[in-house]
Amino acid sequence: MVGPVHYLVLAAILFALGAAGVVIRRNAIIVLMSIEIMLNAVNLSFLAFSRFPLVPVAPMQAGIYAGQVAVFFVIAVAAAEAAVGLAIVIAVFRSRTSVHVDEFDTLKL
Amino acid sequence: MSFNAADLQGVLPAIILSVGALFLLTSEVFLRNVRPAVLGHAGGIPTSPAERVEAKLPPGAQGASPSAVTPPDRRYQAWVAAAFAALGLWASLAQLGDPAIAIFNGTAASDGFARVVAAVVCGSLLLSCLVAFGYLEALRATRGEFYALALFSASGMCLLGQATDLIVIFIALEVMSLAVYCLSAYLRRGNRPAEAAFKYFVLGSFASAIFLYGAALAYGATASTRLVDIAAALRGGGSGLLWAAAALLVVGFAFKVAAVPFHMWVPDVYDGAPAPVTGFMAAAVKVAAFATLVRILLGGFGDPVAALGAHGWQRLVVWLAGLTMVVGNLLAIPQRSVKRMLAYSSIAHAGYLLVAVAAMAGPLPRQDAIGGLLFYLASYGATVIGAFGVVAIIERKLALSGAGDDLSSWAGLSERHPALAAAMSLFMVSLAGIPPTAGFMAKLTVFRAAVSAELVPLAVLGVLTSVGGLYYYLRVVVYVYMMPTTKPDAVMGERLVAAGLALIGCAVLVVWMGVQPGAFASVAQNAVAVFSR
Repeated sequence: MVGPVHYLVLAAILFALGAAGVVIRRNAIIVLMSIEIMLNAVNLSFLAFSRFPLVPVAPMQAGIYAGQVAVFFVIAVAAAEAAVGLAIVIAVFRSRTSVHVDEFDTLKL
Repeated sequence: MSFNAADLQGVLPAIILSVGALFLLTSEVFLRNVRPAVLGHAGGIPTSPAERVEAKLPPGAQGASPSAVTPPDRRYQAWVAAAFAALGLWASLAQLGDPAIAIFNGTAASDGFARVVAAVVCGSLLLSCLVAFGYLEALRATRGEFYALALFSASGMCLLGQATDLIVIFIALEVMSLAVYCLSAYLRRGNRPAEAAFKYFVLGSFASAIFLYGAALAYGATASTRLVDIAAALRGGGSGLLWAAAALLVVGFAFKVAAVPFHMWVPDVYDGAPAPVTGFMAAAVKVAAFATLVRILLGGFGDPVAALGAHGWQRLVVWLAGLTMVVGNLLAIPQRSVKRMLAYSSIAHAGYLLVAVAAMAGPLPRQDAIGGLLFYLASYGATVIGAFGVVAIIERKLALSGAGDDLSSWAGLSERHPALAAAMSLFMVSLAGIPPTAGFMAKLTVFRAAVSAELVPLAVLGVLTSVGGLYYYLRVVVYVYMMPTTKPDAVMGERLVAAGLALIGCAVLVVWMGVQPGAFASVAQNAVAVFSR
């Protein structure tokens, strides 16, 4: 029987993978993808909590749907974020013909 | 789900700013003679020699090809944007005395706190538009999006000050952040702005994702995203899930306010972004981020008695504040670029603001601490926009001559331009916290609140680190007044009218808030009744 724990553990693993990708990977496009994975891991947790509430909630209460509504907003925001992020990566690429994060070192401490 | 006129009136400043942005975008349609070739040459600071060769002339010197169509006159945009910002300021101040109400089914609030935040945001926007006007004109970089993006981000900030629901907070946060990412990448040509924008974007979205995960966990623990429901769940005894949620929410916003283990992006972004944008970021983004942090911590986790209430996060915030003050000030000392110095100093100021947040944990002096925080945010905003306004005037001159930003280019400014030198000195003195200025009164109120919240060691640390800060602030004044000019001056200013207006406005505010803090402090105090219980 697949229960809330399975979804939540999967979401946590995805979130950790995404966070590790942002920190470790050196390709700007993969960094953007990792951020998307983090947001989608959050979506999965929202849905799991909405489907299997941990606290007693009446079946038709608004709290049940808040999680599902949140997912729609997060999807929309993630799309906007991807658009802006790719535009910025293109601007970087045009100025130095590379999307390798290690080479972004014009600004230094 | 329905809303009425009171709901819409509650978000009036945000509506005004959004309408302004849409108006500006629509007005672009009616401009003539826009050609891609002209747009391609507009703007940009050439940093590498290769780029300068490619450009042949300073950016914007379009005389190279006489057949080029002159771009349409977009100077009206700054004034329209400033007018809408002033309208938003008026709307938020006009509502100041109204009773606090919950709007949109309790997902947002229209109260004194939100109105003061909106007023500070609109004021910052107004001053930043004026600063940006001359800067963009000098670099020939006035394109249609700049002021519209600034207005959109400001509307996100106004909403952020009002939101009392984690999802609304997330959406408002993204409305603000996405526009600011674009603004910091605004001068697309050249390595620095794009690189700064990329770093800002990655770390900003990373922080948003962490915040959102915290929101999801809080939703799991309480089956609601409203802050009031979280507070109610806490009174019934918090769970481990709620602890994790609180930690993630605080970490997400520690990134946004640039508290110390999460501050790495600040110097690069502040340095790489155009100076008027940097000033706007330092002032308005900080206001919105701190306002939301206070809303979450006091509205959701503010219960002074619950296990996971105020005492739970107070220790965390105390450590963040101490680290931020010490590291921010220490790293600012060796900086030779004024812009980077101001970036590190903004980290240090985030530390002083966190002292006020830590002082809010106790039930008793909460009013003082919140009032102090708002006063500090307003005074820091006025000061830092002024400082970056002067930097913008210097920077655009440097950009046209291709030199880098270094303290030596400030040497002898008092001989070349006494008014600018005086203004910069005033802002430096205020940032350092020396008496007749706003910075002093702000630090005084914050540290006094910390002392009455029994955070004496933190207040002492704050005073000591501000003394350390004197060194790097006053070094700028020394260069401006006492060093001889090292290089002949380029053309100084054809269009200093708008920037001059903004600088005069900032200077008047800085002195006024320093000499007559009572008027502002009482407004801030009235605004905090929301969080008293």
